[in-house]
Amino acid sequence: MVTKISIQNLRKIYDTPERRVHALEGVNLNIEDGEFICLVGLSGCGKTTLLNMLAGFVEITAGTITMDGKTLTQDYDKGVVFQEYALFPWRTARQNVEYGLEIRNVPEEERRRISLDFLRLVRLEEFADFFPHNLSGGMRQRVAVARAMAFDPQILLMDEPFGALDAQTREELQELTVDVWQKTKKTILYVTHNLSEAVYLGNRIVVFVPNPGRIREIVKVDLPRPRDDLAPEFIKLQRHVNDLIRDF
Amino acid sequence: MQTSEAASAPPSLDEKKKKVRSTIWVKLRPVYPFIVILAIWQVAAMQAQGNQGRLFPTVDAIVYRAWELVTGPMFRALAENPNLGLFDQIWKLGESPILLHTLNTAWRLPFSFFIAAIVGTIVGILMGRFAFWESFFVPLLSVLLPIPAIAWTPIVVIWSGIGDQTVIVITAFASFLPIAMAVWTGVKTVNPVWIRAAQSMNADKMTIFRTVVLPGSLPMILSGMRIGLARAWRAGVGAEAFAGIRWGLSAGIFDAQEYLDIAFMMVALSVLGLFGFVLEKVLFQPIESRTVIRWGMMEAMGAQDKKV
Repeated sequence: MVTKISIQNLRKIYDTPERRVHALEGVNLNIEDGEFICLVGLSGCGKTTLLNMLAGFVEITAGTITMDGKTLTQDYDKGVVFQEYALFPWRTARQNVEYGLEIRNVPEEERRRISLDFLRLVRLEEFADFFPHNLSGGMRQRVAVARAMAFDPQILLMDEPFGALDAQTREELQELTVDVWQKTKKTILYVTHNLSEAVYLGNRIVVFVPNPGRIREIVKVDLPRPRDDLAPEFIKLQRHVNDLIRDF
Repeated sequence: MQTSEAASAPPSLDEKKKKVRSTIWVKLRPVYPFIVILAIWQVAAMQAQGNQGRLFPTVDAIVYRAWELVTGPMFRALAENPNLGLFDQIWKLGESPILLHTLNTAWRLPFSFFIAAIVGTIVGILMGRFAFWESFFVPLLSVLLPIPAIAWTPIVVIWSGIGDQTVIVITAFASFLPIAMAVWTGVKTVNPVWIRAAQSMNADKMTIFRTVVLPGSLPMILSGMRIGLARAWRAGVGAEAFAGIRWGLSAGIFDAQEYLDIAFMMVALSVLGLFGFVLEKVLFQPIESRTVIRWGMMEAMGAQDKKV
């Protein structure tokens, strides 16, 4: 396997006049091309900070991130799916998916073709001309996934994308996410604090602990897909990760 | 036996009638309070005697006066020259005073509002985008906003004299202030997650402004325009009276005061009210229902009650 992203000795310190927050310390992580990585940990353990640094929203204090052997620049192609509904309300589902392609000056016809392809991938073809406020929460996040993927990103960064959804919709979307990942073979970094979700989705689970935020252990998930979240091995693994997060 | 038969018969015809009646009622519902008030007015005015009656005209007298105001010049011209052609008759209608008053208000007000909307949007965007302009304009606007624009009229009259230009300056100024403030607030309070989403797809600053900030702040901008128009309307009507110009609905109302012409005042007031109503219906409602309401952005602002 080829190493896609290499993170070395990464450190992040937020300095504000009131206080100094040591968000991340000594983070080392190699992510292979096409891997599905889940980042888990309690709030304040730095998992979202790491994702934001990969997205270019937050500056690095010390250490390096390289992608395909080169230092990460601000404007590489990444897809981001946010926890909040980040669709543009003034654009239809299809126009939302086309946004990134417009930025890249893809001709109109091709834009249309690509956006419909990706809406089909998230099973929302018939809703292409709906405005977001006429879609349910789960549908909106599916459009958001389609928007991030249509851009054909090098990596897909997902920050608790299904956290605000009800349990049933969340399961449906987890299954859909695996389906999309298998079809597109993208590298995915997925932040969650739902451990069952992490075990269901990830090839590897990176467990973070706080004060300062650091990696405690990287757990490999060897369960065959589709995974059964009631199987004994599944639950055993979930319990192991749970212990890692809480007792340190 | 008979009653039970009648009860089981399909009441389709009746139901249809009811439906028609209910749709008519829905359309008429907003009108009926006016009918009630006019009826009370009419009864009260009919009690007034002599000179009192002149100061408190009946509804039919006001309606007749309205007719006279519109058609007066035409009939006078016909009396002088019975062979007047149809075209000339219609042309004479244009000389009716109420029409001249209305036309003068009708171009001045939208014109001033248009200027205010353009300048206000530009200043608001500058304030929202650049810290320098923000720190320059915010203190100024905060101090100017609470001053009723009409209070500037005497100064503007001294500087620019009596005439349209004075009314336009006052009206545009009054409406510019809330528009600039609203555009500024709108630009500053655009949902940051939309901007991050656009950034993540490598949109540059100018593109983000054009494709995210502007549409994202449209609900605020439109509500600023609405307040701006209301302010323009109030200031404009006041300035017309105080700037001492001849033509304009409120100038006409203050003139009519001299002649105790209550009917004229009522007619002009009705035109003013109708005017504001039409502007709202023609200008704002179509824009809103095609944009922010269609996008579901008004619920987010907690303004569902605007749909009444």
